[in-house]
Parts: sequence; C-alpha cells; structure tokens
Amino acid sequence: MTRWGMAIDLDRCTGCGACMAACHQENNLAAVGAEQAEKSRSFHWLRLLPEVSGSGSEVKVRYLPQPCFQCHNPPCVKVCPVHATYLSEEGIVGQIYSRCIGCRYCMAACPYNAKVFNWYEPEWPGELKQKVNPDVSTRPKGVVEKCTFCHQRILTAREEARAAGRELRDGDVTPACAESCPAQAIVFGDLDDPASRISRLARSPRAFRLYEDLGTEPKVYYLAEKE
Amino acid sequence: MARQAEPKWIFALQVASVCAIWVFVLGISAWIVHLLRLSHRLHDVPSASVGISIVAIPVFLTGASVLTYVFVGLQRGRQAAGKPILEPEEG
Amino acid sequence: MTEEARPESPDIPAAEFEDSDLLRPIVESGVGFRVTSSLLLLVLLTGWVIFGRQLLYGLGVTGLNQPVAWGFYIVNFVFFIGISHAGTLISAILRLSQAEWRRPITRMAEVITVVVLAIGAFHPVLDLGRPDRALNIFTAGRLQSPLLWDVSSISAYFMASTVYLYIPMIPDIAILRDRGVWPHWFYTFLAWGWEGTPRQHAVLERAVSILMVLVIPIAVSVHTVISYIFAMTLQPGWHSTIFGPYFVVGAIFSGIAALMMVMIVLRRVFHLERYLKQVHFDYLSRLLLIMSLLWFYFTFSEYLTAFFGNEPSEMRVFFYKVSGPYAPFFWAMVVTNFLIPVLILSFRRTRTIPGIFIASLSVVIGMWLERLNIVVPSLANPRLPLPTGYYIPGLVEWVMFAGGIATFILGFVIFARFFPLISVWEIEEGRRLSVAETTERLEGYLPDPLPSAPGQPVSEGG
Repeated sequence: MTRWGMAIDLDRCTGCGACMAACHQENNLAAVGAEQAEKSRSFHWLRLLPEVSGSGSEVKVRYLPQPCFQCHNPPCVKVCPVHATYLSEEGIVGQIYSRCIGCRYCMAACPYNAKVFNWYEPEWPGELKQKVNPDVSTRPKGVVEKCTFCHQRILTAREEARAAGRELRDGDVTPACAESCPAQAIVFGDLDDPASRISRLARSPRAFRLYEDLGTEPKVYYLAEKE
Repeated sequence: MARQAEPKWIFALQVASVCAIWVFVLGISAWIVHLLRLSHRLHDVPSASVGISIVAIPVFLTGASVLTYVFVGLQRGRQAAGKPILEPEEG
Repeated sequence: MTEEARPESPDIPAAEFEDSDLLRPIVESGVGFRVTSSLLLLVLLTGWVIFGRQLLYGLGVTGLNQPVAWGFYIVNFVFFIGISHAGTLISAILRLSQAEWRRPITRMAEVITVVVLAIGAFHPVLDLGRPDRALNIFTAGRLQSPLLWDVSSISAYFMASTVYLYIPMIPDIAILRDRGVWPHWFYTFLAWGWEGTPRQHAVLERAVSILMVLVIPIAVSVHTVISYIFAMTLQPGWHSTIFGPYFVVGAIFSGIAALMMVMIVLRRVFHLERYLKQVHFDYLSRLLLIMSLLWFYFTFSEYLTAFFGNEPSEMRVFFYKVSGPYAPFFWAMVVTNFLIPVLILSFRRTRTIPGIFIASLSVVIGMWLERLNIVVPSLANPRLPLPTGYYIPGLVEWVMFAGGIATFILGFVIFARFFPLISVWEIEEGRRLSVAETTERLEGYLPDPLPSAPGQPVSEGG
C-alpha cells in the first residue's frame, strides 16, 4: 500500500515562495486580494512560516514551508460531523467540497491551522480566470479546503503507469510545490517503500516533525542540521 | 360536573398529534440507527456511536411513552361520555 | 398521594376565584401585546434582512477570519444553551426536592428553557458556511463527531423540556377551555380532556415525577456535551478535563440569573407581586450566590492549572486573556460573575429586588463574557508562529445577537398571551393541600418518640 509523504529540507530552502505560487496556480486557489488578507483571511494551502532566532545583529530568519501535514491520526477528521474530511487509504486527508457544510470545526480542531475557508465566492480577477487548472475542481463559497498533496497528479501518474503496464514508481509523482522548488528542497514519495528517497530521508537523523508530542503523526518531515 | 366531550374532530386531532409524536420519535430512532450503520461502514470509533445510541434512543422513547401514558390516562380518567367510572369517588 | 385521599378538586373554577388575576393577560390581552410583539418582530425581521447578506455573499460579511474561525454565533450558541438550563433543571430539582416555594416559579423557568433552547440550537445553523447543506447532518452524520453528540443531546433535551412544560400545564389549559377563552378549539385540543378527576390527577403526577427524574441527567448531558466540542480538540485552553462540569456549573449559574431577571420583569409587567414575593427571590439569590462561588472555584482551578503547567502554547492563551487583548473582557468577567454578585447577594441590606436584578444582569453579562473568553482566545493563538488573530464581530453578528434576545422576549410575550405564566392549579394545590402535607412531612423529620417512654402512647407506625 502506498503511503504518501513529504520531506522538506530546511537547509536548502531559501524562502523564495515559489512553492506557494505554484500551489496557487496548480490548485486553483482563489485570489482573495489585499483587503481580505488584511482581515487575516489570506488563502494558502501551503505557506511559509517565519522562524526567527538570535537577537541584535545576529538575527537569523529561516522559513518553514508548511503544507497540510496529512496526519496519520488527524484531529480534523475525528470532529467532522458529515464525513466531509476523511483519511484516504493512501494516507491523504481529503476534503469533499460538495458535502462540507462549512461548520469550520475541522479548522478549529487542526493544531497546525492547515485548513482555509472560502469566506466569499472565490474569484480569479482578470486573466487569472483563463488559467484555471482543468484537473482541479474549483470550490464554492462557504466550504473548507486544504492541501491534497496534489492528488490530481497522483491520479494522472497512476493512469499513466497503468497505461504503460507497470507499477507506480518512486518519482512518478511530483506535487507542484516540489516541482517548482528551485533549491529542490521538497521531496515527495511513498513512505511505505523502504527503498524510496522519502523513506530514507524520513529515517535520517536530520528529520523531525512539528509537534510530534500531539500524537497526530504528520507525514511531512522537515530536515535540518542538528545543532 | 359532567362536561360535554369535545367535538369529534378535536379528538381526532389529539389522537393524530400523539401519533405524530411517535412518528417523530421513531424517526429519530431510525435516524440514529442509520448513523450507527454509517459509522460502522466508515470504520469510525464504534464506542462513541454505540454509547450515544444506547442513551439517546431510550430517552426519546420514554418521552413519547410518557406523553402517550398521559393521554390515555386522561381519557380513561374522564367522567363524561356516559362511561362508567372505573373507580367510584367520594363526594 | 393516594387517589382516595384527594378531596374533590375545584379544577373548573367559577368566573372569579382567588388566582383569576393570573388569567388576566390572556383574557384581556390588548394593545400592549400587539405593540410589543410587533416591535420585537421588527427587530427580528431587521436581523433576518441583514442576515440575508450573509446568505448571499457568504460568511465573509462577518468578522471571522482564519485563526478565529468561530465567533459570536458559537459564543451565543453556548451562551443561550447555558441560559436554557435555568428552567427545566432548576424546576426539576425544586420539584424533586419538594421545595414548596417552587410553585410560582417552575412555569417561567420551563418556558425559558424551551424558548432559549430553540434559539440556541439554531445558532450553529447561522454559523454554517453552507446552511443549505445543513441536512447533511441527518443523511451523512457521524456519531463520532462531538457536533453530533450535541444534535442528539439538544434534541432530546428540547423534547423532554417541551413535554415537561406541557404536561403540568394541562390543568391550566383546561381552566382556560372551561372559561371559553379564545381560541376555544385550541385550548380544547391542548387540554386533552382534562376534567380534574382524581384518576387524572394521579396520572399527571406520575408523569411529572418520571419526567423530572428524566430531565435532570439530560440537562446535565447537554452542557457537558457542548463543552466537549471544545474539550475534545487538542487546542490550548480547550483541551481540559474540567470543561464538562465547568460548563454545567456556568450554565446553571447563568440560568438562575436569567430566571430571576425574567421573574422581576414579569412581576412588574403583569403585577405578580402577590405571587413572586421577597422570599422567592431570597432563596433563589442564595442559590445564585452559591453558584457564583462555585463558578469562581472552577475558574480558579482551570486557570491555575494552565498557569502552573507553564506550557508555552497554553501560556500564550493564558496571557492573551489575562494581560493581552482580551484582558478587559477577562477581568470584566471576573468582576461581573464574582465580585458584583457576591458583594450584592451576601448582605441582606443589598439583597433587595433591585439589587438582585443588578446582580442577575451582571451574571448574565459575565457568563456571556465567559463564553467569549473561552471561544475566541484559544482560536486566536495558534500553536505555529502565525499572526495572532484579532476578531471584531461584523454588523450581521451584532444584529443576530439582538435578534436572539428579541426572539427570547417575543417567546415570552407570546407565551404570556396564551398561557398563564404562573401555574394556577399548582398554586391552588399548594394552598389547599401542601400546608397540611408539609406539616405532616415536617413532623416526619422529627425524631421518633422514645419507644418505652413512660406515659407516652406507642404510635401505630412503630
């Protein structure tokens, strides 16, 4: 069984934000505009968390790209009243936009604030309207949405593998964020395949996950040099 | 002190309202059972679902039973309509 | 009470009887009713019109945002459901403990429950991003979600409290029916053929005793389960084992306060001074005082545990409330829920009707602030280094808050138009039977006579 996971090398990340932009384009994220962003309603499936350390002239800033962690034990799934968010067999926390009632309980329950809500009908001003990705459904107003590890790409890759008469291989699927990263800091793959690059990285001593003590078992690993 | 019984249509309405309460309560019970089966199918935590059903369904049934008991009891406790009173009273 | 022991009851009274002033608002309803209810309907209608914007454009018109995804709607949901514990719970406890002073109070308490429960239960629907899909809860609900626990618990409580309001009201409805009050068919329908025979009395009493025992655990479960919405998540400030009882205590606390406010207002409006006397307020305000101390104890335990543990994410929420942006609300909550009621209610000199009204109003405001302090700060302080959210409610949220309160008053206005606010037959029963019964009961509390005391006849009971 495949269990998709991601590793993000913080020592490579330059904080350029290409992953965020690629994610927006790939997944038809609405452009909410400055006014809404001011109201703390900015709209990202993947965001850069700043991590500031040191003080005075020695300030160091590191960025932490944060997608949904696709927890193995997701707090959001447990609380959804209508089965609109669920853990798929391949370990991805999915969101059924056509079933979501917009109660936002999953947002309140997520310890990582990974989900976003469509406060208004999503809009793509100007030319952006023509650049909507046909592989990804657009969302109506009033529902919660989230990172899917570019699920549409997984589906396409599986179809292609089947057409070629072979198994899905490590490296067949690359989410938009990993693909766009100029520093190649993001690695995606099957955690259950012991030979895959992702599972070697996940086992490396450099790997850690955020708030492991919560028992959510995220499937996104960060890699950083030990102090 | 025998009072005239109410018109037939009002009595029918009363019976209908008691029946409606049963429809409502049985509907809720059926709904909870439906959710129970759904939670089984979705591999949800079984204890939560079973626990709620065990508590909720009897509560609704008790409510409806109490209402029915009162309605039937009040009808049988009447003096009117020429019915013999089961327990003769003093005074 | 056995059936034989009950004397023939004068349940169908003459045109004028001792408590017929209780029926006056129903028999002689006039301009007052029409003006008040139209005004309240106007407020409600305005609320709905403004709410239409939310339906049209989405939840963006509220002040909610990304970390603070829940605001006034959920705060008011918890608050109103809390108020609803006034009623049925208090009235059931008073009935169960045979507190004779309950008689003029129980009806009003039960009305509060039914009205407020309906208002409160509607709030989560206002909060939905897709209210058109609310029925998904029925077709695709998952019982493992605490929201579904709420749905079942609140609907059970609504049913039980409606039945518990209705059944003890049957003899009063029969009085209205027999007096030919308009709409006559309505009272005939609701009176269920009540004639006041001993057998009917026995049935009614048994039903009420079953219901009052049934209603107490349901009422406790309702607020426990509402606290579980928060406590079942991992969020700092919410994930706490004390939340169930803490919410129940707060609910009863705000419930008693709301009940006393309602009593004082209705006493003035409908001239019920004969029935709602100083002694009733005195007893209830003692209860309120106890609940205030209990509330403080729970709050103290809750915050001390968070503070002493010194966990970073808990501390962020803690300081957000104690010295951060929510400090005004937090300290206002402590003052209104603890200082003001304790100071007013502890001294006989200030425990007057106006004093009690101020204390009760203060508690109701304080308990609303408590709900605000629970819901928003935890959401506003995410674990990850995101910008801390600040929540300023939008116009629609304020309007719907006003609409909720207007609905509450409207509920009472309509109820008082059609039904007596004080149980006529229970007052009558108290006058006729309880004095003797209570004396007998009191004698039963006294120690038995010495079995072999000289000159004392041995009682038949042994």
